[in-house]
Amino acid sequence: MERGGEAAAAEGKAAEGKAAEGTEEDDFGYRLFPDRNKKPQSFLVRSLFTFHNRCQLMLRMTLDTNPYAQLLLEAMKQSGCTVFNDRHFSCENCDGCVSGGFDSATSQIVLCQNNIRHQSHMNRVVTHELIHAFDHCRAHVDWFNNVKHLACSEIRAANLSGDCTLMNEIARFKFGLKGHHQACVRDRAIRSILAVRKVSKEMAEKAVDEVFDACFNDLEPFGRIPHSKTDAKRAYRDFQNRDRYNANL
Amino acid sequence: MAGGETWRPPRLCEDYWWEWKHCRGLRHAFHHYYAHGELPACGRWRDDYEACRAWERGRAAAAQEALCKSERARVMEKQKYAPVWTLRKSPPPEWYLPLDQDKPN
Repeated sequence: MERGGEAAAAEGKAAEGKAAEGTEEDDFGYRLFPDRNKKPQSFLVRSLFTFHNRCQLMLRMTLDTNPYAQLLLEAMKQSGCTVFNDRHFSCENCDGCVSGGFDSATSQIVLCQNNIRHQSHMNRVVTHELIHAFDHCRAHVDWFNNVKHLACSEIRAANLSGDCTLMNEIARFKFGLKGHHQACVRDRAIRSILAVRKVSKEMAEKAVDEVFDACFNDLEPFGRIPHSKTDAKRAYRDFQNRDRYNANL
Repeated sequence: MAGGETWRPPRLCEDYWWEWKHCRGLRHAFHHYYAHGELPACGRWRDDYEACRAWERGRAAAAQEALCKSERARVMEKQKYAPVWTLRKSPPPEWYLPLDQDKPN
């Protein structure tokens, strides 16, 4: 996993039942999130740690001001999944370089407070995980048993969250221009699958390749690949006007 | 679906204009090349804008038909691929359930 491996490691973690049975072969990524399934620390203890406070503040800033997040929140609300900060987000310490994850067992987005240091990073992680949550909300995504479903959501999240902008890729020392966005999306989807599932690289690549065309072109709820906040604001506007659009086709 | 008296363009004419100008810009051309490996084709937005304006001026049926056809084609392009998963009819039931704080480690 690359340094600062953005978001989406450990999607759809094991339901309680499966964890209790002892999934010796696949922990579904839970090892990366050691604070999951633990009793939360007391409010006093948590408030002493600046990582937690910083995470909460940055999260609030993202949800209040970032057009990517605002569109996703609105789309989820329309789909029947209103997002509540206290219920659906959790700032925790994580292992390794993961930045966040979506726990489908608890319908919660995990943000790695020890690995997210900048507001722009928080914006991207929240967007990425909200895309997973949106997929969970609108479709029957079999996170645990169907690698193609997982691959599809990872492709969409890498495509639409800004993970694969040119500047982010250059910062990872990955250089390319013509169509490089697709190569980045494919690569990051494969890495994310390998981080949370005990499957072979060949199996992950096969799953990604089989669903790539369909999922790369599934741009819901944005309707376009948002390359900037301007694009995201435009997408939000189009989403708000969708009733007029659909009624006059 | 282009219903008689109450029909109006699916988007504001200003939106078609914005999309055309945005499509022709250098920044979008770069992003499109980076994402798709080719430069964007923007003529359709211009055609849609002109059809929108023609309809506003004279309620021309031909303009309405052209606009509807163009937008429906856009929708069909998005539905070109078979979906990977089945869509839900209602949200997941556990979405609003409280977290189980007493669950053992």
